[in-house]
Amino acid sequence: MTTNLQPHPETDASAPVNALEVRGLVKHYPGVKALDGVDLVVRQNEVLGLAGENGAGKSTLLKALVGLVRPDAGEIWVRGEKVRLRSVVEAADHGIGMVFQEQSLVPNLTAAENIVLGSEGPGVRRGIYRWDTMRKLAQEQLDKIGSHIDPLARTDSLSFAERQMVEIAKVLRIEERTSHPPVIILDEPTSVLESKEIETLFSQVRRLREFASVVFVSHRLDEVLDVCDRVAVLRGGQSVGETPTAGAVPSDLHRLMIGSTGSDDHYHEGLSERSVADSEPRLVVKGMSGKTFRDVDLDVRAGEIVGIVGVHGSGREDVCRALFGAEPTLAGEVTLDGAKLDLSGTRAAVASGIGYVPAERKIEGMVGPMSVADNMTLTKQKSRCAGPMVVPQKQATLVDKWIERLSIRTPHRGTQIGRLSGGNQQKVVLARWLVAGDIRLLLLDHPTRGLDIGARSEVYRLMRELANSGVATVLLADSLEEAIGMSDRIIVMNDGRATKEVACPSGGKPTPLDLVKEMV
Amino acid sequence: MSTPVIADPASNPAAEPAVVKGGPTLGQRVTSFMPVIALVALLTALTIADPDFLTQRSLTAAVRTSAPLVVLAAGATLVVLCGGIDLSIAALCSLSTVLFAMWLPDMGGLTILAVIAAAGAIGAVQGLAHVLLRIPSFVVTLGGLSIFSAIALVISDAGPIRVVDRDSTKWLNLYVAGYVPMSFFVALLVVAVVSLILKLTPLESFVKAIGYSESAARLAGTPVDKVKVAAFTVSGACAGLAAVMLASRNFSGSPTMADNLLLPAVAAIVVGGTAITGGHGSLWRSLAGALVVTLLRVGLPIVGVPSAWEQILYGAIIVAAVALTLDRSKVAIIK
Ligand SMILES: Nc1ncnc2c1ncn2[C@@H]1O[C@H](COP(=O)(O)OP(=O)(O)OP(=O)(O)O)[C@@H](O)[C@H]1O
Ligand SMILES: [Mg+2]
Repeated sequence: MTTNLQPHPETDASAPVNALEVRGLVKHYPGVKALDGVDLVVRQNEVLGLAGENGAGKSTLLKALVGLVRPDAGEIWVRGEKVRLRSVVEAADHGIGMVFQEQSLVPNLTAAENIVLGSEGPGVRRGIYRWDTMRKLAQEQLDKIGSHIDPLARTDSLSFAERQMVEIAKVLRIEERTSHPPVIILDEPTSVLESKEIETLFSQVRRLREFASVVFVSHRLDEVLDVCDRVAVLRGGQSVGETPTAGAVPSDLHRLMIGSTGSDDHYHEGLSERSVADSEPRLVVKGMSGKTFRDVDLDVRAGEIVGIVGVHGSGREDVCRALFGAEPTLAGEVTLDGAKLDLSGTRAAVASGIGYVPAERKIEGMVGPMSVADNMTLTKQKSRCAGPMVVPQKQATLVDKWIERLSIRTPHRGTQIGRLSGGNQQKVVLARWLVAGDIRLLLLDHPTRGLDIGARSEVYRLMRELANSGVATVLLADSLEEAIGMSDRIIVMNDGRATKEVACPSGGKPTPLDLVKEMV
Repeated sequence: MSTPVIADPASNPAAEPAVVKGGPTLGQRVTSFMPVIALVALLTALTIADPDFLTQRSLTAAVRTSAPLVVLAAGATLVVLCGGIDLSIAALCSLSTVLFAMWLPDMGGLTILAVIAAAGAIGAVQGLAHVLLRIPSFVVTLGGLSIFSAIALVISDAGPIRVVDRDSTKWLNLYVAGYVPMSFFVALLVVAVVSLILKLTPLESFVKAIGYSESAARLAGTPVDKVKVAAFTVSGACAGLAAVMLASRNFSGSPTMADNLLLPAVAAIVVGGTAITGGHGSLWRSLAGALVVTLLRVGLPIVGVPSAWEQILYGAIIVAAVALTLDRSKVAIIK
């Protein structure tokens, strides 16, 4: 094996001073040790990957590095000097800046305003914006990363990827606060990007390495190995090892992350047990049009998983929402098991046995401050009621069974769902549609976004089991690989039209390249 | 038709009910009692300031004064829990006192029900305008406030209307068990019944889900619009009931009778610890909040706080009480 696994990073007195060093960092939350004595070294001019399962403590560690989380114990050293970071501003003074997992730009301001926001400097004189200076300041920042975004464009008119570039340009302003090379932290920057945008981001990261250190988090291990020089792994709030990326393969990392060997049949193709070719079509869509899609034809058989692929703006998300009655349709006929489907609202969709898992889990998929149990039974209230009354005992038994059945890791059914790790949250959201046992069609919009490999694999297994029990599934996958691995058939969408259908049976799968050719 | 979905968990031999521990911690339990603690603390402080304050007579007077406020705040709490606000309650209440005084001669004892029903219907119209026309509840009810005040002025000829038939509301001025004023007892009943209905049915889940995240609630298929309209309806009906209490105590209806109750009602809701952004809170909390607000109003002068200081203390104590009662772990953004 070419990788060099060290249980603890050594600090060598003769080596050049580290950009950043963390020693024995501890952070407790009620009932969880988010960080349990983490050690981490970030060297100068390197891209350091940070890997670990959902809930391993990555975001908590990074937030401690920019002063958003106060550690209970432990030390942070910046270029050989011990520091205390109490706010984002203090972290910026030490040259540490972060691009947040949830984007943090103000949408109705221009890119230039966002870039200088909070540190206007010469951009404001006597309390008045000097637009010329501001535009120049912003342009300098954008030039640093070689971006061609117009500084006077309104932020909400930019694409997601462009907004991320603006964020990076904004973070780089910390250079003005310190004479040292900065440390830039990127927490899951790729989870909402398309593959082409990811390439742009990566070339950006490589450019940053010339004059800064970068810390990069992603659940896609091939990405981590691609863009990083070295990877540190967290498990259960502890540093469990690190490895240079040269020569390493994803399974090496995965083994470190979970502490044992994972399975190779990632998509559980072995579980796909029956041929669906001869079953009746369950969902039939004819000529459906909406604001962002036109004349879409689609059919899904019982027990079949149909993937829809397409770039940003292909309209596939809206097709999904329209089928769930959450987006208006202008024309078209949709039937489910032969009966005409009422697309007027989400209530009607739920009543006809349709389930929808939205991509924005934290905002649309779950109600964060409510308990696991209440989230799980929110839709199928009958499953916990007798007549009009809720029967707490019935709910408790039902929820506990599904917690067990899907091995959801939660301290208690009464725990707020917002406190769980992403994978466990997603399982609760999925369970919501299963508790009543009447689901016929599942619409999954990026169901594995932000999930670690293990959690992903469990979601895939659940999808297979549901398909085997006869549920029809429409999948908007997180990546082409996922679409190919999970689907029985793939529909390609372009500019709001379904342009191509690709058979995708086990054993005769297309390659991602085959699909990309159809998508552009 | 229904499709069997994976193995029924019950038939899975490994599916013993999961061993679960935990639940709310001691700290969380204490936070949920904060409104009561605040109330007791205030009572204690008033008693220390003036040992004569804690008499049965002054307490009885205080709770009787608080009854309309409790009812108003309780109804509006439902709207706040759904993430909205009802600014029309006080104006609607004033209008209802006028309606009550005007209808009483013709309808007699039925007037009480008629006024509550009319106010509920008016609340429902506001709710429908909010969900169907997609206008923020703040704006709809601000418009309502102005419209109801104007209507009340017009139909009453801008003056008080005497309540002629005092018999049909005499029962409201009786005492339960000798000490508890009937109006306060009715207010307690309203809080208890609405709370129970919320607790025992899926409605509580719906209301909280809508308040915390309306888009998530809608995509989960909850009846968002119906629940919101229902909340406005109950809020309106509560304004009607409060009007009956006020009119029967003052023996008149007047187009401005309840107008000065709007801010105290909002204060009662937030002092109880209900999040003005929605989702977190309860009617019990608003009951405690309304008692705190009333005690401050009647208590400060009684214990001899100079009137110039009264407003300052009132404001300071309200802010301090919210600092105490709001459970920040349940509220993501404090606005
Ligand atoms: N504000 C908080 N209150 C309570 N618990 C928290 C809080 N923030 C994080 N946690 C808990 O701390 C642990 C570590 O969370 P963290 O967000 O750092 O994980 P992560 O490695 O970033 O996971 P992911 O890959 O899902 O982003 C988890 O168990 C999480 O539930
Ligand atoms: Mg994270």
